[in-house]
Amino acid sequence: MASVEPSKTASASAVLDDMALVQAARQGDMAAFEELVARHRDKIYARAYSMMRSEQDALDLSQEAWVRAWQRLDQFQGESSFATWMTRIVINVCLDALRRQQHRRAESLEELEEEAGGVERFMPVVTVNPTAGLEREELRTRIDAALAKLSWAHRTALILHSFEGMDYKQIGQAMGCSLGTVMSRLFYARRKLAALLADLKEERTES
Amino acid sequence: MKFESQLQLQAYLDGEMPEAQRREVEAWLAWDPEARALLNELRQTDAALAVGDCDLKLPESREFYWSKIQREIRRLETADSVPDRSGVWHWLTLWRRWLVPVGGLAILTVALIWGAWFSGRPNSLEVVLTSGNGTTYRDQARGMTLVWLSFPAENRFPEDELDALLFY
Repeated sequence: MASVEPSKTASASAVLDDMALVQAARQGDMAAFEELVARHRDKIYARAYSMMRSEQDALDLSQEAWVRAWQRLDQFQGESSFATWMTRIVINVCLDALRRQQHRRAESLEELEEEAGGVERFMPVVTVNPTAGLEREELRTRIDAALAKLSWAHRTALILHSFEGMDYKQIGQAMGCSLGTVMSRLFYARRKLAALLADLKEERTES
Repeated sequence: MKFESQLQLQAYLDGEMPEAQRREVEAWLAWDPEARALLNELRQTDAALAVGDCDLKLPESREFYWSKIQREIRRLETADSVPDRSGVWHWLTLWRRWLVPVGGLAILTVALIWGAWFSGRPNSLEVVLTSGNGTTYRDQARGMTLVWLSFPAENRFPEDELDALLFY
């Protein structure tokens, strides 16, 4: 008899439970929807925070994403997990908000810089691994601090690629830009992140 | 190194490259230490990111967070089911319904008043040119006469044309 790994069983059960809750919520069961919110609220809030870098924005936009999800429950087909579907919604809500927030002038300057190549293109390569020997939580904190220093476009490209596992085409669709722009944003984001992590390592060593 | 080459290295790392092109990049990496160093840096950054982002907890209680979502859902559902009778659009819709007949009626009324005014008082205003530098306006209905003098004369007509215009 084939055995099933416990973690996979638990995961499958969670997916089924989410689906059952979605079906109940589609019939207007608010309690079922509240349960879905309770299960995934931390993850959805964390994604909104990672993109917006503001607690209040992350709260408002994650709540807006839940409202949007309620309105679109019929569109959830179960092809991905509910958490993945919900994450896509909050990403779109945050991207809309970020676009609204951008001043026209700042946006143009950033685009110009990207087209010209940006300073990251000419930065020396970081040869020593700046994160070697760090504890997991310390590394996470350090990455979080470095991500906060990136522009919203670079940070979002990196988050979508590294944390959400999107390919170039999917990122381009989400961010509304060409493949070339996705590639350059991702490249600058990685290079700048490497430099920032190296700086943080130096600061830590000096102190 | 060209920017396009740098992006090629990244596409190689991300698996966003056809097999034939991958082999070309691998051949390039074999002889170019600069390319290897850059690829290594990109790999290290990816490895660091693989730990995931921070585990953040929502800074609000379940009830408080949910209450705002629930309120907004109810507000939207109420807005969908009951037409908004207080908004500007509602009044504009009502106005639009009456705009064409009311507008038509108003234009007709103005036209009738205008017509009656001029048809009922055909010779109420008379303009009499008395000379090259003076004009007299006479309003019969109001019993008023206005004489306009200008110097030097504003209208210098040839004698024959002037004769034709004089009608006093």
